[in-house]
Amino acid sequence: MIQTINLQKLFATEEVETTALNGISMDVKDGEFVAIMGPSGCGKSTLLNILGLLDNPTDGEYNFYGTAVARMTERQRAQLRKGSIGFVFQSFNLIDELTVYENVELPLLYLKTPADERKQRVEAALERMAIMHRRNHFPQQLSGGQQQRTAIARAVVAKPKLILADEPTGNLDSKNGEEVMKLLGELNDEGTTIIMVTHSPYDAGFAHRIVNLFDGKVVTENFHV
Amino acid sequence: MIRNYLKIAFRTLWKHKTHTGINVVGLAVAFATATLLFLTSWFEWSYDRFHTDVDRIYRVYLQESTGDVTSIMPYPLSPALQAEMADAESVTRMMWSQTEFVGEKHVAKDIRFADPGVFRTFTFPLLAGDPNTALKDLSSIVITEDMARDLFGDQNPIGKPLRTDGLNMGRDFIVTGVLANIPTNSTFRFDALVRPETRVDYQANKAEWGNRNHEVFVRLKPGVDAQTAEKRLRSFTKKYWQSEIAEAKQRGQKPDAQGEYISLRLQPLTDIRFDTKGVMGGGVSRTYVYALALIGLFILLIAGINYVNLSLARSVTRAREVGVRKSLGAQSGQLLGQFWAESLVICLIALLAGVGLAVGLRPYYNQLFGTRLSFDLLTHPITVGCILVAFLFITLLTGGYPAWIMARFEAVTVLKGKVKGPKSGGLRSILIVAQFALASLLIICTLLIGQQLRYLRERPLGFSEEQVISLPLRNRDNLTGARALQQLRDRLRNNPDVVSISGTATNLGSGLDGSTSRSMSGWTYKNREVETDWLRVDFDYLKTLGMSLKAGRDFNPAFSTDTVSAVIITQSMAKQLGEKDPVGVVIQPDTADRKYEIIGVIPDFNLFSLHQKAKPITLHLDSRNEVSYALIRTTPQGMVRTMDALKSLWKEMAPSAPFQASFVNENTNRWYDKEERFSTIFRIAAGLTILLSCMGLFAVALLTIEQRTKEIGVRKVLGASVTSIVALLSKDFLKLVVIAIVIASPLAWYAMNQWLQDFAYKIDIEWWVFGLAGLLAVGIALLTVSVQSIKAALMNPVRSLRSD
Ligand SMILES: Nc1ncnc2c1ncn2[C@@H]1O[C@H](COP(=O)(O)OP(=O)(O)OP(=O)(O)O)[C@@H](O)[C@H]1O
Ligand SMILES: [Mg+2]
Repeated sequence: MIQTINLQKLFATEEVETTALNGISMDVKDGEFVAIMGPSGCGKSTLLNILGLLDNPTDGEYNFYGTAVARMTERQRAQLRKGSIGFVFQSFNLIDELTVYENVELPLLYLKTPADERKQRVEAALERMAIMHRRNHFPQQLSGGQQQRTAIARAVVAKPKLILADEPTGNLDSKNGEEVMKLLGELNDEGTTIIMVTHSPYDAGFAHRIVNLFDGKVVTENFHV
Repeated sequence: MIRNYLKIAFRTLWKHKTHTGINVVGLAVAFATATLLFLTSWFEWSYDRFHTDVDRIYRVYLQESTGDVTSIMPYPLSPALQAEMADAESVTRMMWSQTEFVGEKHVAKDIRFADPGVFRTFTFPLLAGDPNTALKDLSSIVITEDMARDLFGDQNPIGKPLRTDGLNMGRDFIVTGVLANIPTNSTFRFDALVRPETRVDYQANKAEWGNRNHEVFVRLKPGVDAQTAEKRLRSFTKKYWQSEIAEAKQRGQKPDAQGEYISLRLQPLTDIRFDTKGVMGGGVSRTYVYALALIGLFILLIAGINYVNLSLARSVTRAREVGVRKSLGAQSGQLLGQFWAESLVICLIALLAGVGLAVGLRPYYNQLFGTRLSFDLLTHPITVGCILVAFLFITLLTGGYPAWIMARFEAVTVLKGKVKGPKSGGLRSILIVAQFALASLLIICTLLIGQQLRYLRERPLGFSEEQVISLPLRNRDNLTGARALQQLRDRLRNNPDVVSISGTATNLGSGLDGSTSRSMSGWTYKNREVETDWLRVDFDYLKTLGMSLKAGRDFNPAFSTDTVSAVIITQSMAKQLGEKDPVGVVIQPDTADRKYEIIGVIPDFNLFSLHQKAKPITLHLDSRNEVSYALIRTTPQGMVRTMDALKSLWKEMAPSAPFQASFVNENTNRWYDKEERFSTIFRIAAGLTILLSCMGLFAVALLTIEQRTKEIGVRKVLGASVTSIVALLSKDFLKLVVIAIVIASPLAWYAMNQWLQDFAYKIDIEWWVFGLAGLLAVGIALLTVSVQSIKAALMNPVRSLRSD
């Protein structure tokens, strides 16, 4: 269960000060699938980064599975993040110098998972995302869909409680996008909490609930059944 | 168009101040150092080459078949050569310059004695006066422009009377000529010339072939080569050195390959500057001159590499710019022009700053290396030409290559964000390796030179050189060395600061009189060839130098035969003679007319610098050999007091001779002055190369890491720790540094092994030195890179990831 109270995020550059988030309070229950929507620049990615413990809010409270994290140091956040959150990005963010297999293996290496278990889990994840046959390829040798499936494999391989996806289909055609959404849906059915930013109402249809942001504020929440 | 290029260049450079700064500073430092080093080596090389047809000018020297050489000549030689040497166009004596007090103001000036032939032999142009008559009279004095200004201001000095007062003369002259100032790269430096006949000792010695005190130079006629001239001088030598040759024959001295005992030889004037051990020594080694130029080249190379590396590294980040420009219609050639303009601007700023730096640093540089580098050379057309060519070359190569690489990026791939950098990763690595290899090479050399120097200084010489004063006894007051020594003994007998006094013919170390001498003897003893230093000492030699006897007894005034026929030998001499118990053994060298009895044996000691192997030594008191140095051992507290006492004593005893006493331990240290200077140069060069290499590495690391920020971000999101990222980033650079060390080590070993061949006593090159150098290089590199790595590892991943 994660909960935010009145999150604020200010970006101060030399010339201007931007309020990216302006009082966001929201709850996400375990096993929920939440879509965040809103116009470009309204603060979706910023919110996701804070929820993913990559960044601290300027003000406000954030309760992450029972821990108050809003004022944690980078080090403490990294510790908490490890193994409990998986990320999927619009631009995949695979490491070009590593193969598909190695990319997926990386989180487990950082978790110091034993070698045999590591192998088993990486293969399972690759199998599941249907890119096992590409395991020794490098990211540039893959199509966009395959790259995103690799990224999802990498996000789930450590079996995190929470997956955060920032426009996961943004760089994909509809067929590949559909496939990715199905995979996320399946993961959610198995109990993983998912928070996803998207511009596509179709994709948002996969979620239980849609949070609409405008100018750093939650404007509406729609519930599906 | 070019103006547009330059405008954009300035803007880009300003925007990337760090890189521009690193580039400019690096190149400027390199230009400055290289300028100083190249000018020094050129300056050394240019010595005496300003004389017209310099290849016809020679110094006359005398060579004995024993190998002994000297260029110190007797007064009558020059007139005889003038009369009889048909190959010579002109001949002149050149005496050492001597400081005299000149004119009414009693200004100190260096005066040299030379024959009228000096103006035909050398090129010392006269601004006023006639070279054919300027030194015609004994009352003539020719002075330099500077001296004329000092003494006479704006007045015309010609015909003005001039009085000199000094140790050797008080004489009136008339100025007959004004010389252009002597170039700094001249072996002869002086303020005025007068005839040798004006010297006080001239009349007494003008026909003495045995008294030698000056050098003689000849200009050969065109087309005569030195070898032919030397051959034709043989009969001349036989005529004038008749008695010396007869003596040598009698001694049993073997003639040389041409069958000569004594021969006159010709040494090219341009070799004098580089004469390290030959005729008079005191020169600069050619190796040293080459090493300077090479180091200058190294430093330029490293700075050039830095520049290329930085540009290549940055080219990747500039790929997008190239793509956009190309999509807007720019052609490769135009982009090339733009990038090249940038490097032109950088190099130009660096060059100006570098030359400025060199000018500013020159006084310190001269002080540090004992050079007299002047910047007349800097404005010399050849220098300016060289600098321009080097500059063009550097900008073309270092600026052109990266520009060419960048201009060739393909717009489509670049815009898709797919440029993985040109295939420069390999080249960049090679360049970093080359840089660090040079740096490691210099570190290793610095360490080894330092080690050898320490070894030379600390290796026991076999005598105790602390608290011993050496006083050169040569004088012009008709006081023989033996009598001077006796007077010192009498006068210092009751001085509580003086422990003991002795004398010797061969100074220990390089004293302030700057001269050395050596006497050797060889003969056959019981079918063994023996060769030994034949060293004249005086009573208490062993006591004064803290040496102990291994067998037998010391010289003792109580035995009247000791001053005639007793010798003490070193252990290696005993071994050479093959005598287990040499005390009491009688020897008779071929060179001696009498027999000597061995009365004592002492351990071996080093009479000369550790460049040469110690020979067996035989100590004797034969008064027919002159004692030229007094050795005085003082108490530890009495060193300074004794020095003062000696000074006033010497003034009384020999008022005409300078007081040149010095401490023996300082003198033995002076043996290695040249090595010391070499070591300083290497230390500084090593420091500079490391600094420059690190600046380059720092910048390349900065850029490489910049390019990897996305990867670092991803890794952090996935849970990588700061340490693991720092390790990841530093690893690649360290690998290169290690490769560099592996390449540099054998090169350094070879070079240092060559250098060490100069020494009879030398360190073993040990492996830990290479290890230490490696550790240093790795440590410094790690420090340089880790600053960037840690910064990158600590960076918030959100920042790097949102850039997509
Ligand atoms: N590091 C930063 N520095 C300054 N301003 C920032 C920074 N990051 C985000 N912003 C600003 O914060 C606001 C929200 O940005 P954010 O990336 O969260 O938008 P978004 O909703 O994800 O937009 P999009 O749909 O285009 O991805 C924007 O106005 C953006 O300009
Ligand atoms: Mg966004």
